[in-house]
This record gives sequence, C-alpha cells and structure tokens, in this order.
Amino acid sequence: MSRVVGWKEGTMETGLIALVMVLAIIPSFHLSAQDIERGKAVYEKWCTGCHGDTGAGDGDAAAYMLPRPRDFRRAVYQIRTTASGELPTDDDIRHVVDQGMPGTAMTGWKSRLTSGDRDAVIAYIKSFSRFFDGAPPQSVDFPSAPRISDDGIAEGARIYGELECFKCHGDRGRGDGTSAPTMSDDWDFPIRPTDLTRPWTFNGGAEVEDIYRAIRTGLDGTPMPSFSDVIDAEIITDEQLWRVAQYVHSLAPGRPRVREVIRAGRTARVPDDPTDSAWVEAEAFYVPLVGQIIVSPRWFTPAVDGIWVRALHDGERLALHIAWSDPSASPDPLWQEWIELLATTVTDADGALEPVQGPDRFTIQFPARLSDGMARPYFLGGDRRRPAYTWRWRSSPDQLEVGTSTGLGQFVAGAGAASDVAHQAVFADGQWQLQVTRTLIPRDTSAAPTFAEGVAIPIAFRAADGSSGETHVRGSVSAWYAIYLDAPISATVFVMPVVATLVTAGFGLLVVWRAQRREGTRRFLPEATCDIFSSSRCSDSWHAAAAKLAHRPATRMLVPLSSRSAAPRSPA
Amino acid sequence: MPKLREILGHPFWQAVALLVAAYLLFKWGIAVLPPLVGFPSAPVPQSVVLQYMLTALVGILIYVSYNEARWRRFKEPINATLVDANKRWLRATLLVLVPALVGFVAYDQSRPKVSAPLQLRSIHPAPPGQITVRGRTIRLAGLENPLRSRGTIEEHSREGRRVYYQNCLPCHGDLLDGKGHFAHGFSPTPLAFDDAGTIAQLTESFVFWRIAKGGPGLPREGAPWNSAMPAWEDFLTEDEIWSVIIFLYEQSGWEPRRWEVEERAEGAGHE
Amino acid sequence: MTFDGTPPANPAIDMTEEPECVAKYADGPVDPVVVVNDGMLANVFIRVTAGLPAGPYPIPSQPATIDQNGCLYTPRVLGVMVGQPFEITNSDPLLHNIKAVPSESRGFNISQPRAMTTTRTFKTPEVMVPLECNVHGWMNAYVGVTDHPYFATSAEDGSFAITGLPAGTYTIEAWHETLGKRMMEAEVVEGGTVSVTFVYGSTT
Repeated sequence: MSRVVGWKEGTMETGLIALVMVLAIIPSFHLSAQDIERGKAVYEKWCTGCHGDTGAGDGDAAAYMLPRPRDFRRAVYQIRTTASGELPTDDDIRHVVDQGMPGTAMTGWKSRLTSGDRDAVIAYIKSFSRFFDGAPPQSVDFPSAPRISDDGIAEGARIYGELECFKCHGDRGRGDGTSAPTMSDDWDFPIRPTDLTRPWTFNGGAEVEDIYRAIRTGLDGTPMPSFSDVIDAEIITDEQLWRVAQYVHSLAPGRPRVREVIRAGRTARVPDDPTDSAWVEAEAFYVPLVGQIIVSPRWFTPAVDGIWVRALHDGERLALHIAWSDPSASPDPLWQEWIELLATTVTDADGALEPVQGPDRFTIQFPARLSDGMARPYFLGGDRRRPAYTWRWRSSPDQLEVGTSTGLGQFVAGAGAASDVAHQAVFADGQWQLQVTRTLIPRDTSAAPTFAEGVAIPIAFRAADGSSGETHVRGSVSAWYAIYLDAPISATVFVMPVVATLVTAGFGLLVVWRAQRREGTRRFLPEATCDIFSSSRCSDSWHAAAAKLAHRPATRMLVPLSSRSAAPRSPA
Repeated sequence: MPKLREILGHPFWQAVALLVAAYLLFKWGIAVLPPLVGFPSAPVPQSVVLQYMLTALVGILIYVSYNEARWRRFKEPINATLVDANKRWLRATLLVLVPALVGFVAYDQSRPKVSAPLQLRSIHPAPPGQITVRGRTIRLAGLENPLRSRGTIEEHSREGRRVYYQNCLPCHGDLLDGKGHFAHGFSPTPLAFDDAGTIAQLTESFVFWRIAKGGPGLPREGAPWNSAMPAWEDFLTEDEIWSVIIFLYEQSGWEPRRWEVEERAEGAGHE
Repeated sequence: MTFDGTPPANPAIDMTEEPECVAKYADGPVDPVVVVNDGMLANVFIRVTAGLPAGPYPIPSQPATIDQNGCLYTPRVLGVMVGQPFEITNSDPLLHNIKAVPSESRGFNISQPRAMTTTRTFKTPEVMVPLECNVHGWMNAYVGVTDHPYFATSAEDGSFAITGLPAGTYTIEAWHETLGKRMMEAEVVEGGTVSVTFVYGSTT
C-alpha cells in the first residue's frame, strides 16, 4: 500500500529540495531574528484584529465571533496531520494560513501575503508558545484511500453507526446528536458538532482526505477525538475509517451555486405537506443567510447560515418548501445549558444576550406592491414608504402570521385574509421543513400582492434559532432573491423555430440556385443547369428550364407579379 | 508552407481571420490584456461586443471591396461554395446547418427565460452638499478629516482598526477585498477597498458620508433598499468614523483624493 | 481526611440517553462531587510539595489506571508520575471520548467506541489535569501529574498513605475539586510513621 504523507498540494519532493537548500545556506536550522521581525510586522498588520497582540485570540473582533479566533499561546491546533495532542507541522499551519478555515471568519491569505511573508508569520505565530521549542512534530502516515464504491459507502454508513458518530453528529449527520447541547471547546466557549450535510463549512476542508484527516487525528481543542487508537486496538481497520470519510463525503454535494431566481415549477397539484415525496423531486435552491448586522441589536454569530428553498405551483396555488438545519425544536430544556454558555461568550456591542430560549422562527417577505418597478421595500423587512408583505412563522406555538412589515420587528398582522395562507412545519433529525401555501390571487387583491406567472417576484428570507436566543431582529437574514412561477409554454415557442428554419433553408436554396444559374448562363450554359447540390449531375429538366430561361430572361423579369399567372398564355 | 501563405494572402480568409481576431479581442482581450501590464480592466458586455463586431465587419467589408480585383478574389470562395461540383457536400452541409442554427436561435429567443429583475448599482453616487450626523450639520464640500490635524496617524489608525474589526470585518473582510465571511449573503456585495476604483478615487468627506448614512442614505438611483451598509451614525461617533477612514487608507495603502487636487483638476478642465 | 458538618448534596445526572449506564445505578446516577462517608472525605489528592531531596526519582513501570464504567470515571481523582504509563479503559459498551486538557503539557482526545484500553503518558508535572468526556458532558476526572512518587488519593474511608519518604520535614498539600486546597507540615523520622489529618468542612 502506498503512503500519503502530509498535504496533497505540498509535494514531498519540493519540500525536501527546499529543506536541503535551507540546510546548505544557513548553518542553524532555526529561523533568524530577522524572520521573526518580518513575521511580527505581518502579524501586527493583518492578524492582531482577531488574534490579538499577544496571540491570545483576544483581538478586537474576537468577542464577535463563534468559533473564536485561535489562541496561539496553547499551541492547540485543529487541523493537523500529527497525532492527537501533538503540535502541528509547519505545513499544517501553512495550509490553514493559505486556505483559511471554511465556516469561520478565518480567510485564506495566499492571495494577499507573499510566500516569504507567510513563512515569517508562521514562525512568529509559533513563537507565542514555548511548546514549539522542542523537536519538530511528525506527521502520521496515512495509508492511501480505497476506491469509492456504493458498497464502500454503505460500509462507511455502518461504521458511522458502530463508532457512534451519531452521538454528536446525529443520525442524519446534521449535528443534532444527544450530546450536542453540552459541548464546549478547550476555552469553555460553546461549540456545535459539525453539520455533516454542509461540507462547505468544514473547517479543515471538504475533500475525502480532509474528512479522513479530521477523524484520524481529531480536531484538537474541540470535542472531536482522534480515532487512531481505535485502529491500533483493531476495532476497525484503516480502510474502514476511509469508508466513514467517504460516507460523510457522500452526505451532501459541494458548495451549492447560489442562483438569484428560484423557479416554481408547474405541477398538476401542489403537495399538501412538507414531507410529500413531490418535494424530493422539486429543484432545490440554496439561499445563504448571514447575521443581521445592520440595525441594533446586531447579531454576529447566527445559528442558521443557509436554507434550501423549493417551490411548486399549479396555476391556482403557490407552495414554498423551506428546509434548514437546526439541532433543536426550540425552546428545548436540554438546550438551556447551551444558551447560558452562549450568553457568557457572545458579548456583542449592542447589549447582552438574555439566556432565555424563544421559539424557532422563519420569515418570508415579498414587496407589498409589485407595481413599483425596480424599487423594492428595504430588504430588512421594508420601511414606511414601501412595506413588505410578510409571512412570519414560529415553532412554539406553531403559528404563521400574515401581515405587513415596515422594518425588522415592525409587523402588523392583516394584509388580507390570513386564511389565504396555509402552512405546515415538521421537525425531524435536526431539520425543519416548512411548507407555506397561498392562492396565486389573494382574496383581497388590494392588501396582498398577486403572484403572476412568468415574472420574477422579489422574495427574501429570515431565520432565527430560539435555543440560541435569536429573535426577529437578532437572527439571520438574506438579500432579495426572486421567485419565478413557470408559465405554460405558448405555441409560438415551437412554431417560431420551425418557421425560421424553413425560411432560412428556402432562402439558402434560392441563393444557391441563383448563383448556379448565373454561373451557368455566363460560362457553361449547355451543361451547367444543375441540381443545387451537384453542378456535375445536371438533370434534364433543369437543363431545359435553364435553356428556356436563357432565351427569354428579360420578359420573365418584366412580368408583374400580379399578372404572372397570365404570362403562360401570352404569345409562346 | 506555400499553402498557408496562399490562404493568408487571400482576402476571404484574411477577412475571416480578422473577424475571429476582433471577436477574441473584444470578448476576452480587453478584460485580460491590460491587467498584464498593470492597468485595471473589466469584461465587455455582450451587447457592446456585438456593436463592436458590427463595426469591425463594416471595416472589413470596406477593405475587401476597396479594389475590384480584391473584391473578385474575395467572392471567389463564396461563389465556389455555391456552385462548384467538388464542394457539393460542403454546400449541402451549410444548407442544413445554417437553417438549423437559425432555428435554434429562434427557439432560444422565444422560449420563456428566467432572469432576475433588472438592478442597477451606482458606484459613486453624487453626495449631498451637507448632511446631519447625530444632530450636527456637516458641509461635505471641502471637508477634510479633522483627525489628520491632531494626534498621530498611528494612534488614529489603531483606533480605526478596532472600529473596523468590530464592525466592518464581517462584510469587507480581513483583506479589505469585500469578501468577509458575511459578504456572500448580501446583494450588492460589499465594496472592496483594495480595488483601485473605490476609496482610492474618493475624498475622505465622501467616504465619511457613505459610512455615516450607509445604504438608507443612498439616493434613489443607488437602490438604497438593497444595500446592507448600515447607517453607522447609529453605532459610531464622528471621531470613530474618521478614525476608521484613516485605518482604511493606512491598511490599503491608498491615498485619499484631496480637495485641492479635485479643484485643480476641475480648474484645468479635465476629469 | 475528615469532613465536618453536612456535606453538600451531589447532583443527580440525567443519563436517560444511555440506558446501559443507567442500569448500573439502583438509585439513579449521581455525580460524586463530594464523597463523604462517616465524616471522612474521599477523592482528595495529597502530595508532597516541599522538603524532598532532589530527583530524579525512578518512574514506576506499573501503569496508573482509570476506568470508564457506568458513564462515570473510576477513580475520579488519581495521581500519576511524569513518564508513568497512564492506562485508560472503557468498560462500557458504548462510545466515550477521553480528553485531557492540561495547560503545562500536551493534551489528547481519544475516541473509545467500545471496550478497549489506551495508554498515554504526561511529560510535565501539573496538578490537576482535567479529564472530560464530550459525549457525556457530566463525566469529569482529575489527574495529578507529579515528578516524584510521593502522592496519594484519599479512599472511600478518607484514608491515604504516602510511603517511602526519607527522614525530613515536608510540606504536604491536599486538593479537592470543589473544596479547594489545604496545606500542612509534617516531620518524618527514619523508619517512623506520621499521621496527618486535613480538615474540610461545610463551614470553611
């Protein structure tokens, strides 16, 4: 079995050559004071805002982030090719500095800092901890992955259950396991088990190798343990661990493409509830949500950072299906510990978080008037001049309000008969599924907009997790998107292309025919009246016709169109 | 390579080559080439490419028809395709392909299209003459950053860094590239300050106006209903705003436009 | 090791998510934070902090052991010498992870999805290194890591013994996870035994 060591993109060969060169140039392998100075300058310009002057992870922005920026003093690093509890290699740190950490505020620096600057800043980061004074750490040898197969993924699913990964990550991988509400990291900050259905938020990357590495060496500083000892104890084989990684990788596609227009396909009859199998068939549109950081009180650590929207209509009613991951149907007493820890961790500028759980919430908004042209209501719930027609759902008690909003939390129920709008919400396996249905034409067309087919209707979304203390204002929001109700396809769509094809073909034949006739008339008249595809295979009839035309071209040209039918009867 | 030379010397093939080259230039060259020598550029919209192509076509036609001999040579391959016996397969293929293509384009044009409603974004909307920030009326024309005439730049920049990291980071990002960890959730996406076309083109007073009044303070053509930029006067003091402006210029390395430069430019009658 | 007064009540643990563990407790699982039997306090870590001759001391090859049984650690408090094998066993038929969070040396976080034993060592002295299980948030244990063999943990009856000390005057420190530290001086004579009593109480 061949072995893969370290990072895929950093090849061993170049690493070795670089090492040999460095050893040849400088007698001491340690970084010079000059490098540390350079690293310090880079660090102070670009890193202190989050990681702090002393590397304690307490920069100006730290309290506005979850997960918090890394505290370099303890030298505890999540993303490593080394064993649990070991220091990371320089390549490990380099990988995170270059690529950033998806799902967190840590950005990739490859585009901004030169390679030398990044090396220098890594040396400086390491200087915050005395642990790096010892011998350099060694990467664990990872055997290469078995080929991905359906059987292998099924095996991975089985091992996922056997290793009890679901205790934290949940049966369907949505991070809703029984121990999820109690989790904190090494700094006693609250932490969520990774939602495995959202690989674009995996801190160490979403490739099978990244997942394998996370399981194999663990994510130090977090509750995620290393499974190396489980292989050593021969409870599972290394290949089976790869199978788990492949299974996790199979749970969800990569980062979804965000499309501005959500299409509501036309169907015979819209489904009645969110678990209807028709929804599985319907196209899903991913809409990213981010913290509401525009009006007070702002919210920098949103619980819901994306939703899947599906839409169907049957010419009478429009049905929206919204699905999003949420580990709890709030309020949930099991999550009280979580919100209390969150309240002591997230100390936002705009007031403390009350450790009181509310219901989960979801809001869908449209412009109250669709006739305003390009102008829309303010995307955060509208304003006085242009209100938003709004559907507000809450989980407990399960209720959907219909009304008009003139800003976040500025909501007046009404906007026509609420009975126009039906809803049903289902919570299962760490996921809410909400279906909202309304007739295309509201009962009161003056109070609520009409959903017309074939036009893009602005739509926006907001979500709140009650167990994280979120509300109508402190929650996550989306920009304006649009929903488009597919219209029946008109006959012109099919007739037009046929007509265009025929006309063009006819015109083409005419051009060829004329060219050949002209050529024939001028140069090779006797044998040149030929079929349009081959001037050598001249047919008798064409020959004859051409000859005839050659004898009386002028008369033919002079015959007026209206009297053409009479022409044959004139002297011949 | 006499064959190649013959082709290159032929006006028909010259015209074809020119058209292809023009298309490549308009479609990609304009966007890709200037940055190679350090000038900013952007892709050309498809409609403009079509206009350019039309102009190019007219030019090429004038060239090939300028003298009679060239015009005749230009027409030869076309005529041959229409008439010659040995080109009958090419002729047949064209007679099938061209109508099919036209049919497809017609279908593509007439089928229902799903496109987002049109949105405009004015990059640098005209600022008002004066604004009222936290109850104080400030005249923008000629306004300079008051912090530059007191204290040290280091100290203001440090304070600005705090303000930036606690407020602006989620959208405008560590790299000032408008790609913070929340940026993907907003439309229009946050401005990139490292770009040569944003703060590098503006006076500090303009930046002050945009920060203090945010999206809600945009004129109508700026689509204020879409902008996620908060009205920072609700969160920050005047000095905090001025300090974050200093930080933006220090961190990005740009120089703000100065009023005297602006006036001189206007006086000289350009820009 | 004595405890005066009424010991605080230990909190019950909601262990319903692990029926196999609940089954091991007739009266329902309780978190044994303060264990007092007849006025005697268990789970106190006692070690000599001053007066010892300069080391190094031989490192025992016999491992110090901790077991995860019934979703609790046994023992809850123990000592181990730097370099001494530290054996972690899972006797439960379910997943535990055992995470050591020291500040002086490197920690570890190991998964034990079923009955198995893992061995680790600590490289730097530290009193105490917390151990935790993140699958079961209620599971806590404490390991006293020392660079000498003169330490002990008070048993269920509050007794403890530190043996083999050469003659001399020593400072002895007791540590309890919630009741804090106590300090005492003791003079040991060649071949003799000295009794030391630490007093904790609900009033202190």
